[in-house]
Amino acid sequence: MRPSPKKIFPLLLFAFPVLLVLASASCKKFLTVLPVNDVSDQVTIVDATSAETAVRGVYRSLAGGYAAEGGTGTGSYYGGLFETFGYLGGDDIVWTGSQSVIQQFISHNVTSDNGNLESVWTGIYQTVNGANQVIAKVPLVADPNFAAGEQNQLTGEGYFIRALCYFDLARTWGGVPITLTPTTTATQKNNIARSTLVQTWTQVLSDLNAADSLLSLPVTQNPVRVNKETAWALKARYYLYQQDWANAEAYATKVLGDVTNYQLLTPFNSWFQPASAVATRESVFELSYNATYQNSSRSSWQPPANGGTRQWAPGDSIAALLNNPLIGGGRSALVAQTSTGLWFGNLFYRSPATDPSYIIRISEVYLIRAEARAQQNEIADALSDLNAVRARAGVPASTDSTQAALLLDIENENRVEFALEPHRWFDLVRTGRAQAVLGITDPTKLLLPIPVNEITLSNGVLKQNPGY
Amino acid sequence: MIKIDYNWAEPRTYFSTEGRKVPTLMVMRQKIILRSNFLSKFKSRFLLTLLLTTYCVTSLKAQNNDNITITGRVFDDKTGVGLPGATVHLKNTTHEVQTDQDGRFRFLTGQKLPVVIIVTYVGYQGKEVTETRRTNIDIPLTGTAGQLGDVVVVGYGTQRRKDLTSAISSVKQEEVAAIPVASFDAQLQGKAPGLQINSNTGVPGDGIFVRVRGTTSINADNNPLYIIDGVFINNTSLQTVNTGGRATSPLADLNPADIENVEVLKDASATAIYGSRGANGVVIVTTKRGNFNSRPKLNLDVSNGENRATRLWKLTTGPQHATLENEYYTNSYADALALGNSAGEVQFKTPPFTGTGWNPTAATGRGAPDVQNTYDREHQLFRTGALQNYDLSLSGGNKETQYYLGAGYSHQDADIRPLSFERAELRFNVDSKVTDWLQVGVSNSFSRSYRKQGRAGDGPDGGLLQSAINTPTYLPQFSATGQPLDYAGFDNLTILINYYDVHTISLRYIGNLYADAQLIKGLKFRTSWSLDYNNYNESQYWNNLTQDGAPPTNGLATSALTQNSTWINEQTLTYKTVFGEKNNFGVVIGNTIQSNLTTNTSATGTGFPNNSYTSISSAATTTSSQTWTKGNLASFFGRIDYNYASRYFLELSARADGSSKFGVNNKWGYFPSVGAAWRIKDESFLKEVQWLSDLKLRASYGLTGNQNGINNFAAQGLWSGGYAYPDNAGGAQPGTAPLQLANANLKWEQTAQSDIGADVGLFGDRIKVEANIYDKRTTNVLLQLPIPAISGFSTYNSNAGVISNKGYELGINSVNIRARGFVWSTNFSISGNVSKIVTLPTPIYQYNRDWLIMQQGHPLYSFWLYKQLYVDPQTGNPVFQGEVTGTGNTKSLAQLNATLPASARETMGNAAPKFFGGLSNTLSFAGFDLSLLFTYEYGNDVLNLQRFFGEGGGTRDANRVLLASQLNRWTTPGQITDVPRETDYGLNYTIQQNSRFLDNGSFIRLKELNLGYSLPARVVSSLHLTRVRFYVVGTNLWLLTKYTGPDPEANVTSIQTIQGLDLGTPPQPLAVQFGVNVTL
Repeated sequence: MRPSPKKIFPLLLFAFPVLLVLASASCKKFLTVLPVNDVSDQVTIVDATSAETAVRGVYRSLAGGYAAEGGTGTGSYYGGLFETFGYLGGDDIVWTGSQSVIQQFISHNVTSDNGNLESVWTGIYQTVNGANQVIAKVPLVADPNFAAGEQNQLTGEGYFIRALCYFDLARTWGGVPITLTPTTTATQKNNIARSTLVQTWTQVLSDLNAADSLLSLPVTQNPVRVNKETAWALKARYYLYQQDWANAEAYATKVLGDVTNYQLLTPFNSWFQPASAVATRESVFELSYNATYQNSSRSSWQPPANGGTRQWAPGDSIAALLNNPLIGGGRSALVAQTSTGLWFGNLFYRSPATDPSYIIRISEVYLIRAEARAQQNEIADALSDLNAVRARAGVPASTDSTQAALLLDIENENRVEFALEPHRWFDLVRTGRAQAVLGITDPTKLLLPIPVNEITLSNGVLKQNPGY
Repeated sequence: MIKIDYNWAEPRTYFSTEGRKVPTLMVMRQKIILRSNFLSKFKSRFLLTLLLTTYCVTSLKAQNNDNITITGRVFDDKTGVGLPGATVHLKNTTHEVQTDQDGRFRFLTGQKLPVVIIVTYVGYQGKEVTETRRTNIDIPLTGTAGQLGDVVVVGYGTQRRKDLTSAISSVKQEEVAAIPVASFDAQLQGKAPGLQINSNTGVPGDGIFVRVRGTTSINADNNPLYIIDGVFINNTSLQTVNTGGRATSPLADLNPADIENVEVLKDASATAIYGSRGANGVVIVTTKRGNFNSRPKLNLDVSNGENRATRLWKLTTGPQHATLENEYYTNSYADALALGNSAGEVQFKTPPFTGTGWNPTAATGRGAPDVQNTYDREHQLFRTGALQNYDLSLSGGNKETQYYLGAGYSHQDADIRPLSFERAELRFNVDSKVTDWLQVGVSNSFSRSYRKQGRAGDGPDGGLLQSAINTPTYLPQFSATGQPLDYAGFDNLTILINYYDVHTISLRYIGNLYADAQLIKGLKFRTSWSLDYNNYNESQYWNNLTQDGAPPTNGLATSALTQNSTWINEQTLTYKTVFGEKNNFGVVIGNTIQSNLTTNTSATGTGFPNNSYTSISSAATTTSSQTWTKGNLASFFGRIDYNYASRYFLELSARADGSSKFGVNNKWGYFPSVGAAWRIKDESFLKEVQWLSDLKLRASYGLTGNQNGINNFAAQGLWSGGYAYPDNAGGAQPGTAPLQLANANLKWEQTAQSDIGADVGLFGDRIKVEANIYDKRTTNVLLQLPIPAISGFSTYNSNAGVISNKGYELGINSVNIRARGFVWSTNFSISGNVSKIVTLPTPIYQYNRDWLIMQQGHPLYSFWLYKQLYVDPQTGNPVFQGEVTGTGNTKSLAQLNATLPASARETMGNAAPKFFGGLSNTLSFAGFDLSLLFTYEYGNDVLNLQRFFGEGGGTRDANRVLLASQLNRWTTPGQITDVPRETDYGLNYTIQQNSRFLDNGSFIRLKELNLGYSLPARVVSSLHLTRVRFYVVGTNLWLLTKYTGPDPEANVTSIQTIQGLDLGTPPQPLAVQFGVNVTL
């Protein structure tokens, strides 16, 4: 028997609004859906564990990492693009691809709309924001589970990474906008003008000093994270850039004094070959990659036969230098040849691309001290440091005894020692030799332009570098 | 293709009050069935079982046949063709029968003469015949001549077309169902005014470009909302594997043969009831259902055919390439000397194609041009592909139940190897009148789509077209010892073709269950539950011969499983009444809640023992990832419509949408609309105008929204957990980092649309015209707004910007000739749309190298290029607009190589057409029928990126092919050409974003030619069939265009902000199919 519509109708008339009301009462809950892949930014660094994860996150931002298929990338700082700024400009690397964004660096004619320029700028400031989060929040955490000194260590790591960020910003762009607080809203960092170059360098030193005071000395050899000595090494490099030779020498000496954790490994290739050679004692600081977050340098260096694109490759001149037993010595391992005889860089070769990104190697600290000593006319000591690096590479010792010759030796040593690492361009600019060596007529090209989008978004507050 | 049989009852008359008094009918039907020799021969046990169980129960009842028997025939008054399945009802009785396949009926009545017979048939005017003498009657019916009498599906209901106040286009899918593409939307091109469709690729089952009245959004979705039998279906591709830019179409999971009708809701009056998802238009798809009171119909459609690409890229031969390359060296050497550029003198001293012998891979001394071979990779890749299509359906019904069973199988090869698409689908739709006031029904479709996929687009590794048409033709594929060779980062084509292994299985269920209750007269309650579930399983394997899997990767495999499910519940209360005879009043109110969940799990393995091991569990290194996203929506809506004597119409509608996507300050959006219409024809001053059969003016205004396509969590401030980094050298430990800034104010895009339209009928509706003009203004455009990167974030989800779309639509249907037995009708549509970005805080650059730009004051799909004005006939050097340093080999090297400043780049061109449309002609005569569909677009620009790579003037040497168009380069003073002199210096070949590659993409295409022959009725009936039609369908038979690439509709990517970029995209193939359609 069917129910009478006449009975159902009033029932429905009643039920319908009730359902509506019920629906709207639970609506608020129904309309709030939280993600599971990510968490709210309201609760971020609250205890020891979340402080540790946040610090690791800053390292990951610093390291970037081209994500394996299915994952997401984490930025474009080290681990690929930033390094290219350091070596493409040095005239030793040639470009074989079709995109002019790379060629612009080689021909010293980078336009402000260059995509890589913007990627790196963004990647660095993303890391700065992560460091700012750590610096602002970790010291406030009150958690009995924090082991003694760990809170300071973590905060110090934040300061160190921020120092490195502003260091790289300063040497690439000159004076840049300085931001020292965590970003919480979209408009918070609008209209921040550039600081001067001096102010930017001052910020680097201030962060390095903070890091120096907060970080602990290494307990075990661990170059994938920073410690007090890592801060010293970066200070040595900082003072070298400031041409404060005495301090550069002093901090280099402090690092080189730790022979337990750092050593020039022989033969030369033993710090990157075989594939298991990661985080060796060669490294003062290197960044770590894994199958999930891979180092994108590899695919650009390796040839198609090895699953790469060989978009850029060692030029004939550097290949000749590296293969010269009197100049390159063991450093010839940095390059290899395809079956058709084309040179390719072989420092980044692992599959999956877990190759470390080398930030500071101990040989750099030797060469910093060599240069600082040479500048102070401590010729014998300088020669000793230079020849330590040369001996490790298996090339004859230098016997030059004049300051000028020695400085040139050190410049040339840097060229081959760091043939595939981001040194030569920055070194030549730092020493004022870029125009002479690279034939750059326009000195404004020694700094890169601020990305045009960043200028546009600043409402005129951000001024472009001259010449762009 | 299944051809629709028209004898279905009006599907919306669910609430017949006639009850279940059907014994006479049932006996009649039994007789018809038993009389049919064919059915007794037909071995389908299930068919008989179904029929017998359905009808036997009622056949027990006795009947009195002591009076007259009326026989007769119901037929079309124009063509004389019998109308099968028409309802013949005896007035003032409960007796009715249906006509057979020839339109004949036989009526055993308990009545005496005179009798009044009422004949009804969908698509025809009903007729009352009073018969006093004869018992054998001919009853001609007059067609309702197209759409005036048709019922149109509107939001949450139906309306008579003549009563519409809104702009809605209807397409009978049958007209285009034979076009061999995988998804039904691709078949609608040129069929509905205001609906722009471009098939961007020749890969079957890939997504296409669909816009209703222009593009309203930048970052949110621009596709219309698709609703199939009440189910809001997912139209976002679940693809995760890289196929070079393009993505699959979720609509391809549906079998077009099951579709009865498609309605395109365009103006705000029609779409506002869909609230925050209505701004891009709404496409409502109705699938086929059975008919109450109709005999079972079995329909079989089989077609087979082939397709192939007709227009391809014209490449240089090996000797031509070598000659051009040598010329580049010679010219560059001369320039180097003139400039004193010593490096250049060394580099270009020796042209590469010199010497004796043949050594194509050497740096120099490759042998003279004339000894070079030509390796045709292009025709190795393209093929003649097979097309197969099988559709079987059974439909029918009795007094209480109607059913439709459909089964379809389709297989299509793409015109390039090894891509293909295959789909099998089952559909079961059934509706049952449980009581005279309650009807329940279900729609179910279950399909399996299988795709062989490949990178038919951008990207060097695994790129099929990249490998085939970018590798210089002089380079051999194999070494002398038979080793596969590859060049410039492109895979070896033979390896690719032999070992490509990317395939996807999509399992899709779309279902709806509803109950309709007639509460009191005019008041109806409906509740429905829907589910759209898609299980999308992708796998790819790259063995160690391919670049992706080459050592040291040693094989790469990915397996990804994506599941998408949407459930929807909705309730509506509908009331319709007439008062004072002429006041028609209707109201709908309802609510709906909906939840969508998408999950993805994927695993990747590298390092396989050898090519025989393809399972990820064999891999040395494996990684995996997972994503989860969910969005909820709760809504309330309502509509009131009123008309006075079908002369004055007013319609109001509104919707409130609460969405979990929106920011906490803007959880609810409100979308009202108003529409009005005036049938002027019914006014006294026009009533007597004979040539004007109808004239109605319409106007509407309303607000709709758009929230599709933005991330479900776009408004929330988030930290990501994926930032793992080790504490010590070794395994990574979990890490977290800021991911996204919150925007508590984030909300829907809002489109205010006004529309004015007219519906005109001329000469007894022989010519019908539908015209609309509209103005859409979209505000609060959802943007990933760039913010200063010093914040640590590069973008921010925000509402900013205004987009305007203004346009017109005109559709003309005419019956040109309607003599007895010969009918010729024409359908013409033209639509134009002008889009403009009214405000945009900052330009947004699109695609690699910023080929396109979205910029305030310009159309959405503008290109951003350096404008090459001409090639100087004296020097052969190009002259660019805004060039500051000048060119010519009198300048210094630095000046020559100076790039044009970015400020010289111009926003120019538009990938959207100025106007577009279609022209179809249908002719039928004596069993033959012919339809021709032309589609066209005018004024759209296409950037031929293939020319950018292929007209490199020799600068790319062995890395890229040279297109034959490179032969037009400047060689002699006085020569007029736009291809510059080949040289390494100056701006001749260094400007990538060169307007030279921007082509006019206007076209006219013969989209479909469908020629059929139906066997004469007597032949067919002697075979105990209803209809037999043989047909041949040609698709893309003819193309008229000035475009220099193969297909002006091509687009490299499925990213919706990019149109008109043609790079390595397979063209739509020409296809020819033969088929037969049998109905019994």
